[in-house]
Amino acid sequence: MPGPLDGYRVVEIAEGVAGPYTAMSLGDAGADVVKIEPPQGDRSRDWAPSLDDDSPVFRTLNRSKRGIVLDWSSQRDVEIARRLLAQADVAVVDKYGLPQELGWERLDATGLVYCAISGFGPQGPWSDRPASEIGTQMASEATSSLGNLGEPPVRHGSDIGSVFAANNAIQAICAALYARDDSDPSNPSGGQRVEVSLFGSLIAMRSTLWVALSNPDEWWGFHLDSYVKPPDHGYQCRDLPIYFSLARIRGEAFESLIDELGMDWARQHPEYDRLRTDGAGGAGRYAAELTPLWERGFANFDADQVIDIVERHGGWAFPMHDYERLSKDPQVEAVGAIIDLEQSDGSAMRQIAPPWDFEGTPVPTPTRPAPRLGEHQDEVLGELAARS
Amino acid sequence: MPGPLDGVRVFDLTLWMVGPWASTQLGALGADVIHIEQPSVDPRTLGAGVPPTINGTSIGYMTWNQNKRGLFLDLKSPSDRQIAYDLLQTCDVFLINMRPGAAERMGVGYEQVKAVNPDIIYTAITGWGEVGPMRDKPGADVQAQYFTGFWSVSGSEGGRPEVYRHMAQIDATTGNVAAQAVLMGLLARKRTGQGQRIHVGMLRAGMALQSGRIAEYLSTGALHQPQGSAAFATAPDQAFQCQWGDWIGVSVTSEDEWQRFAAVMRQSEAETEGINDLATDPRWSTNRDRVARRTELAAMLQTGFLQRPRHYWMLRLSAAGVPCGYPISFETLQHHAQAVENQYLREVETSGWGKVWTGGAPWQFSGTPARWFGACLPGEHTGEILDELAAHKAAAEEPAPVIGD
Repeated sequence: MPGPLDGYRVVEIAEGVAGPYTAMSLGDAGADVVKIEPPQGDRSRDWAPSLDDDSPVFRTLNRSKRGIVLDWSSQRDVEIARRLLAQADVAVVDKYGLPQELGWERLDATGLVYCAISGFGPQGPWSDRPASEIGTQMASEATSSLGNLGEPPVRHGSDIGSVFAANNAIQAICAALYARDDSDPSNPSGGQRVEVSLFGSLIAMRSTLWVALSNPDEWWGFHLDSYVKPPDHGYQCRDLPIYFSLARIRGEAFESLIDELGMDWARQHPEYDRLRTDGAGGAGRYAAELTPLWERGFANFDADQVIDIVERHGGWAFPMHDYERLSKDPQVEAVGAIIDLEQSDGSAMRQIAPPWDFEGTPVPTPTRPAPRLGEHQDEVLGELAARS
Repeated sequence: MPGPLDGVRVFDLTLWMVGPWASTQLGALGADVIHIEQPSVDPRTLGAGVPPTINGTSIGYMTWNQNKRGLFLDLKSPSDRQIAYDLLQTCDVFLINMRPGAAERMGVGYEQVKAVNPDIIYTAITGWGEVGPMRDKPGADVQAQYFTGFWSVSGSEGGRPEVYRHMAQIDATTGNVAAQAVLMGLLARKRTGQGQRIHVGMLRAGMALQSGRIAEYLSTGALHQPQGSAAFATAPDQAFQCQWGDWIGVSVTSEDEWQRFAAVMRQSEAETEGINDLATDPRWSTNRDRVARRTELAAMLQTGFLQRPRHYWMLRLSAAGVPCGYPISFETLQHHAQAVENQYLREVETSGWGKVWTGGAPWQFSGTPARWFGACLPGEHTGEILDELAAHKAAAEEPAPVIGD
């Protein structure tokens, strides 16, 4: 059975993370995606580490696509791109040097959903500034949830601005396709331009904070304290760190928990009352003050043991996985979150699976690896000629 | 002008953040989202009760239930359950985020909903998935952050990895992914005429968010260690301190940008050994060379950046097309032209809590604009929605006019 986006044709003219992630997702969901690269290739082919002269990022975010190369210094190549776009349902473009002829206003394509991804959004004084992860994480104050106030900024190590923007782009594209008039399938109308940005997407993701900062009854709670709390490393046990919450553990259950953790000494501690009542783990009001006490108790146990003790008393606790432990976790295996995808050169590569399960139009496990530079040139241009 | 989902109706049986955030997106896209709460709901538990509150209600509820109408329904009562089924006949989308099995117990499992509306796009959101040893465990943003390694790649240079202290990013990502899935389901229905059941879990959505970093680990077997503001895949790509102590974030992610960056550094006439020769020095020939010697390169550039104010660097780097930015706090962002003109940050009226600031729609549509309005009170539109439903039923039961003799 075909995937939910079966039959839609997508042209990607984008590099790095946000645009490629968007088009990868559309391709995973069944759309036919053609990626156009410049002669030197998508910049992320050169990123570190090297994986047979590509990078893991490139190989991951460009699966489920076919690839061609076009050179914007050639008018003939620009014309080829115009014709590809005219026959497509969706364009995914970013702001890396797109020729003016390929702007939405200049295209003669009434049904095209044209998604432009930028750093800072289409309006305003920064609309022409190029995107970057650290630049937009800083400008949206996303970096204020890490590190110490007054010390050098800390980024989130994943490309959160770019992937948030991609997730929004996928929504906008699908919504615009839904609104399109397809009553004449060979000539749809009502296409439009949709715009998303890294900056706007990061701001949207901090909405809870903006509401919290509006006019609260009291100036506390983790949405506000996060600005002034010190770095939070979780709770180190003898072997590994965990995260936990006392949740509803109170009264006798709490005393039993303290006994089982061998923390009798804590009963004489001046912070004991807080220890009993500040139930929310790292999100708790006094988490920074209480962490050393819990860690003193947890130091005598392995993470598995502490998790078991906390859960038996009615709280919750989870291991803090790094990617190694994550990739070996039985739950990750059970839900099929990591897939094997054979590469163009026959080598094996493990990647993250698409995140949706459709029962009626199932998304198959991706089988098409990222293209070698220009790998599908003849095939795609041949199809274009045949359709014209 | 109506939004792209004008005419789509969503039965929103969601709570806490992940489900409500999905329907907040659908409402912004123009769908009529009907958010269900139990009439007996304790207001202190709304939005998971996360502090702070405004007029006693969690700011979580206010953030995650924008762009909706509120309806009270007690699904344990037979008469309210019948209203739910009547309402479901008028809906296109059913959305729920409860542990596996909860929907069936309330009479709104997929088979039960499909029986009253076979065309429905039924979307279930879970924490850890519908199979596996953890399927029944509680799942919210905090747990997903720890479990998926989202905490493991951030932190001060040389320090321990640290948790991201805004516990909403994986909730919201999963909500966005669920909204995508609903939209894809609606698109498939547009083509096939068939409804279907969809599932999205926080575990896989949270891992997809980290696709690049996890792929790097899976390819190399090496775990990233925190390196402050610096990127893992590209260099120079980090924050530098400028002359008056403030910071600028600069990213060089292609060879072309490297050449332009090198020209800006040379023109700055900063007195730092080697800064005039960045473009030709063989130590920095390729991105991978620069990443391998990242700290050496960064130390040299840092002495250069310290010699000019941030404003100088912002203007020069922007003019050269090198991506850059600087830290902006909420108080400034509220009035910043870039946030305001794109309506990324805005103030909205709410029914019970006055005006609040919130993020706005993250998309701009040239043809079918999105919208954004403040959260509803629980059950606020119960009368209005039930009246509409009664009118709809009356119209459906009216015999069709006989044409002809």
